[in-house]
Amino acid sequence: MGFLTILKKLRQKEKEMRILMLGLDNAGKTTILKRFNGEPIDTISPTLGFNIKTLEHRGYTLNIWDVGGQKSLRSYWKNYFESTDGVAWVVDSADARRLADCGRELRTLLREERLAGATLLVLANKADLPGALSLHEIREALDLDSIKTHHWRIVRCSAVTGENLLEGMDWMLDDIASRIFTLD
Amino acid sequence: MSDKNSILERLSKRDAQRLEKLQKAHKAREEVDASDENEDYFAGAFKIKSECIEDMLSQIPTMDIKVLPSHIDNIKREVNELQKYVITSSFFLKEFNMRKYLGIVQNLQTQCYELEDRYVPRKKFGFSKKKLLKSHTEKQGSFDENDGAGKTDSNKWDEKLFGFDSLENKVLSLDSDDLFQRDVALRNLKNCTIALKGVMGTLHMNNLDNCIILCGPVTSSVFVEKCTNSKIVTACQQLRMHTSSKCDIYLHVTSKGIVEDCSEIRTAPYNLYYDDLDKHFNMSSLDRNVNNWDRLDDFNWLAPDIPSPNWSVLETAKRISNWDEWWAKTPVL
Repeated sequence: MGFLTILKKLRQKEKEMRILMLGLDNAGKTTILKRFNGEPIDTISPTLGFNIKTLEHRGYTLNIWDVGGQKSLRSYWKNYFESTDGVAWVVDSADARRLADCGRELRTLLREERLAGATLLVLANKADLPGALSLHEIREALDLDSIKTHHWRIVRCSAVTGENLLEGMDWMLDDIASRIFTLD
Repeated sequence: MSDKNSILERLSKRDAQRLEKLQKAHKAREEVDASDENEDYFAGAFKIKSECIEDMLSQIPTMDIKVLPSHIDNIKREVNELQKYVITSSFFLKEFNMRKYLGIVQNLQTQCYELEDRYVPRKKFGFSKKKLLKSHTEKQGSFDENDGAGKTDSNKWDEKLFGFDSLENKVLSLDSDDLFQRDVALRNLKNCTIALKGVMGTLHMNNLDNCIILCGPVTSSVFVEKCTNSKIVTACQQLRMHTSSKCDIYLHVTSKGIVEDCSEIRTAPYNLYYDDLDKHFNMSSLDRNVNNWDRLDDFNWLAPDIPSPNWSVLETAKRISNWDEWWAKTPVL
């Protein structure tokens, strides 16, 4: 057996994806992560640092990184960019006043060379709250339509009710899978 | 040829080692009091691993160019493994050590990339990648212009803002029906008393000075930003305080409160009372028996054993024990 064959076999067996979950503080990143993992969501504290969960979904091993969104932590986001397959950008749909901030951070993120090619899933979270902005408004405010460098999609969801979380994630997995596992 | 064989042999050996280590890690997770779940064991294992990677790194300069890419791939995988090992051990590592180990991993990673840059010839598609990047940066110009447009947009949303804005010397109040699960904002207020008797979804306080905020339960988060010399009485799931100083918080928080870029913050337990408060607590589904009012996290102070100088517990003698007379008057200057 040759050297490359071993490597290929290892990679096929892994079917691993690395997903980075980012967004402003209070967007609901940790809540989404816990909801995915079936953990209780009523005792979540603001994230001081990061959480990582490895879970199996549809035969893939997902390494989901949830990094705190506080201002003082944002400068550390770049430490997590390496070998990221997908970015889940979480937005608080009810927080209109920081939407401009949110858009600015997202654009900075997308310029990052190490994230080139990563799939972008925008999760418009807290859509169940009264006063939540519509998908259209968020899409416009974040100027998503001008993104040509990444495959992206925006999904209305709620970590509390669980609505649409899986649908969004499935889209991201399919998009990543079609990209990385056919290259061999 | 023998060179290739020896590499192969080494590789498979390492693979076996790694498998063994993985199994061990699995076992460790299953047995709660396993002996390898302690810092000393971890430190040892980590050292062996990181030295092994350093070894591999040091081989790079003298290696044949043909096997180099796969050798580097291997290093990257080892580094990833190591990173995972640190992460999975996070439940018994101290925060400080955790960061130290992650720092070492990071360092190995950077070294690996630097060596790769130096010794592995660039592939042809490196060019097209560069081109792509250029067009990317050109676009930034137009992105930034859009930023301006974004600002007018946010003004549009200001009209949707629910709460109080730009007032002085006033007693302000909102009641239950209006507040229910709304995203409430208090902005640019001076010398005001604000009474919020109801259940809110989120409460944002921005740029308040010398104000008193008396409020019922907030289902999710309370934001305090750029507030000074104020008294805030609030119950919530999370408290997030930024760039504020000289505030007293009478707090009921069921998960955790945090401060960031704050100073002279003092906390006391929530002690507000009004007629429908019990009802409102029930509606908010906040747990009245869980209150972490005296355990704030300071994002500017990560040492676990030394308390943050930016906040403290307000002495019992200095606390206001009854708010009844505070509802109807503006704060004293």
